[in-house]
Amino acid sequence: MPFDMELESKLRPPELPMVPYPPKLVTLANGRHMVVREITRDEVPRVLEAVRPITTYERDYYDIVASRVYAELLAWYRWRIVNEFCLIAQIDGMLVGLVNSRMLNAKTGMSLHTLTTDRGLRIGSHMFAAKMEHHIEYLNQEEVLIVAESPIGFRRWMIEYGLEPTDIPHELGGAPSYRLSKELYYATKDRLVVGDRPVPPDILAQALDEIIVVDEKTVAEKICGVKGR
Amino acid sequence: MRPVAIVGAGMIPFGRRDDDNLMDLLAYASLNALDDAGLGDKGVDSVYVANMGAGMLNHQMSVASALVDRLSLMPAAAEAIENGPASGASAIKNGLLAVASGYYDVVLVVGGEKMRDVSGWRATDFVASMTHPTAEYIYGITLPGMAGMFTRLYMEKYGVTREHLVQVAIKNQEMGALNPYAHVESRITHEGIVDSWHSRVNNPPVADPLHLYDVCPVSDGAAAVILAPLDMAKKFKKTPVVIAGFGQATDTHSLQERQDPTDLKAVTLASQQALAMAKLTPSDISVAELHDAFTILEIAESEHVGFFPKGQGAQAVIDGKTKLGGQIPINVSGGLKARGHPVGATGVAQVVDLVWQLRHELPEGRQVKNAQTGLSVNFGGFGNNVVSFVLRRGE
Amino acid sequence: MMKQQINIVAYQCKACGKVHFPFHDRCLSCKGREFDEIKPQGNAKLITFSQIFNLPWGFDNRFIFVGVAEFENGVKAMGQITANDPGELKLGMTVKPTWGVVRVIGGEDVYGLIYKPIQ
Repeated sequence: MPFDMELESKLRPPELPMVPYPPKLVTLANGRHMVVREITRDEVPRVLEAVRPITTYERDYYDIVASRVYAELLAWYRWRIVNEFCLIAQIDGMLVGLVNSRMLNAKTGMSLHTLTTDRGLRIGSHMFAAKMEHHIEYLNQEEVLIVAESPIGFRRWMIEYGLEPTDIPHELGGAPSYRLSKELYYATKDRLVVGDRPVPPDILAQALDEIIVVDEKTVAEKICGVKGR
Repeated sequence: MRPVAIVGAGMIPFGRRDDDNLMDLLAYASLNALDDAGLGDKGVDSVYVANMGAGMLNHQMSVASALVDRLSLMPAAAEAIENGPASGASAIKNGLLAVASGYYDVVLVVGGEKMRDVSGWRATDFVASMTHPTAEYIYGITLPGMAGMFTRLYMEKYGVTREHLVQVAIKNQEMGALNPYAHVESRITHEGIVDSWHSRVNNPPVADPLHLYDVCPVSDGAAAVILAPLDMAKKFKKTPVVIAGFGQATDTHSLQERQDPTDLKAVTLASQQALAMAKLTPSDISVAELHDAFTILEIAESEHVGFFPKGQGAQAVIDGKTKLGGQIPINVSGGLKARGHPVGATGVAQVVDLVWQLRHELPEGRQVKNAQTGLSVNFGGFGNNVVSFVLRRGE
Repeated sequence: MMKQQINIVAYQCKACGKVHFPFHDRCLSCKGREFDEIKPQGNAKLITFSQIFNLPWGFDNRFIFVGVAEFENGVKAMGQITANDPGELKLGMTVKPTWGVVRVIGGEDVYGLIYKPIQ
């Protein structure tokens, strides 16, 4: 598509410098190894393929979360959101979860979403923790503003981390933000943030080589469970 | 009293079943059992529905009346049985007595629960409502919390360690992974839940000293059996399984009022009654389904039933005595730990799994070779209402 | 309104002396139907406890400690325990009973036993 680059430059605000998230390897309860890594802008279309079908599952607010993730990643891909990042979780290359977030400014992070397609292995907990790790430890921010859209998310994040309620509006437009301060992050890190670095080169190479997207029927079953006789 | 046989058995996969409601679950499991019995379009004389929480969880009452309507079983007699997590076995017991008395011939017993209509913390609250309202419930005690307090005492008294509990969890999830009806499909590894420092996220404490993988999941599911007099059993197409014995006993509502809170008297009494009625001893049993809502309970029940002396159940797990191929295979289905624990369904599901074992219908890797006798323990409250069955393969 | 008195009544069988808490219509030991109302006395000894996470509806804490303790006059009762780590507690240790809000049910404060560990 031809761009009017003069106009485009006005629509693309300047981005803050963002250091990359160093990939890590997490051992899950079933003994399998999960790579947590940051994706590049070029990888967004592949991730969108995985997110698209989930936008129709009403259960546990998956539809809202997936629709918003879809829009946020698309906007990042097409330069309409700045300072966004997306971390994905892969097991043998297979995409099993993602988180996205952005820097509001140098000091404050704005947590967007957590989406997992494989339930029951605490992947969401690992991924949310990785997102906070990136904001505080690598992007060196002072605080992250967080809201939950699903009751499960609310219970998990607010209670697990003991987040501090504020009256600061959140970009997602719903409830006011809860805050994870740097102090709170370091107070809970031991309990909630795990992973080994560096990721062994062969495992990392496999993850980088291809983001495998699980078929729609399997995802539906993972999210909504089984049905019928 | 005439002898009674199980002539049909059916289950549906347990787990999260977001697209099915409670009546769907009960109807599907019932149809599976009716079809298994080869009843075709014939009716049954009476229906017993085991369910603990339809009123609180699904805002529906009189589920037995609704079910006979769904299944076109009118004018069969029908009623629901609520006896906490022992509802399933209680319903079978009531069906059994009705057939044994000669009053009814063909009885459908179905147990089901749809727990995931509500959030996890509502489900936790629902289960906690079994505790004493003013002496226990108000403190925020949960059933895992009860089990945690029990585990601490059991560890202190009998030297049970976290490692023993971990081995129960690994064994049962290993078997659950082979069971197409199990909620939990994943094996777990020692590395993933204990050794790796990542396990602090994977397997956090839930009710210290119990961790996440010591506790059964919150599940939707249903299971059903068809009962008939043994002398009618040859009219049905499957090998009959005789209910050779049953027992039921109760204990104090509050754990703290038991002389020795580590002594699960109702388990001992119920299983002794069942074994005595069947004229068997624990060593005669080929396969057992014990109520492992928490890993500690599998160990404790294995001792209270008499498979092992008190204090030796934990070592028996380490020695592989409770595995498939061991001295007494326990929870080859994966147990509540892996099959899941839809509270009203569990007692029936345990019996269905034993029926499959005794008919020798399970694939290699799950079938206990030449299984002739099975024992179940369905544990209500925290051991305040326990029902046990002894089943025997029929001719 | 401050409610600091330990507002628990236990029941001692008039026939055999067995102490019950909570109430039973008949004695668990001798079936007697008459009881003296007694108050828990003194400090208590911790019988067992658990640090409970994944709390039911109505709790916003990450965890609570709940345990059972036996008072000097034989009354055994469940209560919450003031602690932050299981390592702070030991079976058999002495705990001091206090009375406070243990839960909010339907918007109402519910009072109950809160045990404080004594070193």
